[in-house]
Amino acid sequence: MNDCRRTRKNLAAYLSGELDGPHAARVAGHLDGCESCRRELAGWKDVFEKADAVRAGIGETMKSVDWEGLSARIAGRAPDQAEKPVRESRPAGILGRLFRPNLGLVYAGIGLGILIGSAATYLVLQKPSLARLEGRSYSASAEYLDRVELAMARRDALDYLDKSRYIILDFIQSSPGEPGSAQAVLNSGMARDLLARKKYLNPQLDKRQMAKAKAICDQIEMLFFELVQISGDLPEAELRRIQRFIEDRQLLLKINLLKEELEQSEV
Amino acid sequence: MGDDKELAALVEGVRRGDRRAFMAVVGLYQQKVFVLAYSVLRDREDALDIVQETFLRLYRKIDSYRPGNNFQAWLLRIAKNLCIDHYRKNYARRREWEVPGGLDENQVASPADTADSSASDWREILSRGVGALAPQQKMVFIMRHYNELPYKDISAALKISIGTVKSLHFKAVRNLRKKLGPYAGGAP
Repeated sequence: MNDCRRTRKNLAAYLSGELDGPHAARVAGHLDGCESCRRELAGWKDVFEKADAVRAGIGETMKSVDWEGLSARIAGRAPDQAEKPVRESRPAGILGRLFRPNLGLVYAGIGLGILIGSAATYLVLQKPSLARLEGRSYSASAEYLDRVELAMARRDALDYLDKSRYIILDFIQSSPGEPGSAQAVLNSGMARDLLARKKYLNPQLDKRQMAKAKAICDQIEMLFFELVQISGDLPEAELRRIQRFIEDRQLLLKINLLKEELEQSEV
Repeated sequence: MGDDKELAALVEGVRRGDRRAFMAVVGLYQQKVFVLAYSVLRDREDALDIVQETFLRLYRKIDSYRPGNNFQAWLLRIAKNLCIDHYRKNYARRREWEVPGGLDENQVASPADTADSSASDWREILSRGVGALAPQQKMVFIMRHYNELPYKDISAALKISIGTVKSLHFKAVRNLRKKLGPYAGGAP
């Protein structure tokens, strides 16, 4: 059974001629004696052949392109687009590399930074200035602060969704016989971390009235709550149950849609 | 391009702003870039735009290419990144509605789903299936089967290990078999 699993994992590489001699021989040897894996191989070959046919179709599409004309057009556009200065040779040696002309801006930036930093330090450390500053209070408009808070809430929600998505993908992509990536997620404690982060995210979403984002994040939180209950090895039935949970609630779809909306600032 | 020295000379020519050398590089690789872009975007005109933009970017960024590295892999990485940007800007929203499950790149249709599909042509189903693979699986499948690159070159282009390429290729084909469902030969 282990041999079958190992062989099947190698079928794509085997058919691509990417296995070295001993590995290829082992796969071939197993295939000789295993009817089930031979049927599997036939299925994989079929995908390869269909892909070959699709590639041939792309070849047909390519026949309609005027490649010479295209390369001439691109070459014609390059100098205008790039405004690339023609260089005769590259500067050599450590000093040459250190003082390359294209580093001029970097050095100018560093110099300017030092100047501004020194000036700021001088102003801050001056006692009279401090006294003057103490009398003042910094203020920003409520509208500005509102925007900053909203942007932070969006950023945090996006980050939470991104990390959650990876975990969910690991579970969806794991098969019951090989729960490798799902098991790794469980062992890593990532779900527990995200549960903790959700507690921090909740007030932000509530305050910004991001109800839709909150509802979806709540569903993800339910999933993570289930995950942290599992200790030790992940049983097959449990993995299936979690996969069903994810599919029934269409979590990946919702995450993707929500992410898009957040990125476009619609929520 | 078999002759590495000749390619190195052409690349050096591009660095110097030699238009003929640049045109020769475009001529050598434009079809490979097109295959990649067309496989990802499935639109001829968009793929041609990507070809053009890839080489213009190559021209601008040629100084960041380190001689001795795999030039084709470097170029295809530029093309891949442009395809992803283009897809995000122009396709993602549209395809969500056109392709069932298109939004969820990792969703794998059950054979029953596939049977319900209105598309009767397995070519279309395979193309959709490739489009719906997880991004890395998709790139590995396209580079292996449509660009006909060996694992070593795919590994260089995507900056991942050969072991990861092998694993992604396995997952891609396994998912596509499920996607093809009744159209797939052999044991399901």
